[in-house]
Amino acid sequence: MISRSDIVKTDYDVIVVGAGPGGSFAAKTAAKAGASVLLIDRRKELGAPVRCGEGLGSHWLDELGLKISPKAISAEISGSVLYSPNLKRAVKIQNPETRGYVIDRKVFDKDLAIDAGRAGAEVIVKTEVYDVTKEGGKVCGVKAYSMGDRLEATCKVLIAADGGESTVARLAGINSTASLYDTDFGVEYEMVNVECEDLIEIYFSKSAAPRGYVWVFPKGKDVANVGVGIGGLEKGNAVEYLDTFIKNNERFKNAQTVAIKGGLIPVGEPLKDLVADGIMVVGTAAHQVDPIHGGGMALAMEAGGMAGEVAAKCAQEGNVDKQHLMEYDSKWRKKVEPKLMRRLLLRKVLEKLDDDDFNTIFENLTDDDVDRLIKGDYKPVVKKVLIKRPQLLKVLSALL
Amino acid sequence: MIKIDRSRCIYCGACVGVCPVLALTLKETFVEYNEKKCINCGNCAKACPMKAIDFKK
Repeated sequence: MISRSDIVKTDYDVIVVGAGPGGSFAAKTAAKAGASVLLIDRRKELGAPVRCGEGLGSHWLDELGLKISPKAISAEISGSVLYSPNLKRAVKIQNPETRGYVIDRKVFDKDLAIDAGRAGAEVIVKTEVYDVTKEGGKVCGVKAYSMGDRLEATCKVLIAADGGESTVARLAGINSTASLYDTDFGVEYEMVNVECEDLIEIYFSKSAAPRGYVWVFPKGKDVANVGVGIGGLEKGNAVEYLDTFIKNNERFKNAQTVAIKGGLIPVGEPLKDLVADGIMVVGTAAHQVDPIHGGGMALAMEAGGMAGEVAAKCAQEGNVDKQHLMEYDSKWRKKVEPKLMRRLLLRKVLEKLDDDDFNTIFENLTDDDVDRLIKGDYKPVVKKVLIKRPQLLKVLSALL
Repeated sequence: MIKIDRSRCIYCGACVGVCPVLALTLKETFVEYNEKKCINCGNCAKACPMKAIDFKK
């Protein structure tokens, strides 16, 4: 048997830890820019186990230059429908921007790693990074267990894209521990015999999903990801809410669970520092997640692309201190962060509302209003709500 | 100290992400617990979406 340490070189321009969408995108981008790249993943099978609702807006394909193979698409989606807590009102949004896919992460993630491999990155699976090496305070490599071997590889830039655990950044001294308050915890069942349309369904309800929501993401005419996410400081654990929702709903009478998926969803601020000397953090590991819907895939790929490009350039120029790697941090904060912070503001207001508030808001909400909220235009909607429920002035004024 | 019920754990890593002292490590099909590092904060048990962690002070 050839030892793993014989097939991997020991020095790279860029090492990426984690072959999820963010990591594979970073590896592909860096390799295309001419850097020598090693992409490492802990798992034997990329994409599994899935810890995601698997929804992806189709506008991202153009923005990211992404192609999805037909095999990676479970269902095409035309829009979303949002339900009030009392279920009396459903607001439907269907427009070109709400089109998208529910994908199969097991196929999708592997395809992205294949792209990275084709672009010239070396890919190594079933390899667990257990430590980060440093020289004079600068990150310069990793130590890993790999199929009975211990690997040590050095690099000019390390990209930590290891998801919600965010272990690699923390080993390097960046505090990326998820706080209970700013994190949602979710679990979902992939179920068959659940009738669905081509719509993402979202149920708001403090009792069914405190500080989060219940979702039904169709994966076919009669298959869906049915899940619940709750705030970390709320009572109980997500699975209890999910089981209750399913038990109390006739629709799931004949439903059979064929997969259980779960995970943590950072819904607070992104990391204060996305880089340090010799290291960049990307995706869920950097808390680059939408604070309203909890989606992270597209944001991870977007950040991964930026990080990969800057990493390759800095490695080739030999300037890999924090100051130079900051180019990724600044680019990302300029392009993406303001939108996320605006949505974080909305999250922090929404979490103060109770079910009665939500019911009133839904009664007065038109489809266009929801569209405005999604685009970050809160004022007209808030004004309308305040006429019906002036007692919310204090809470909602943050959005004015 | 905590006890992880492997028959409930879906190795999603939520507990690992909220552990402030890296006492938990996500392996391929389970989570490894290092009792010596644990500071008994209970975050992992609170976070676990599957209610797979039993926490006793």
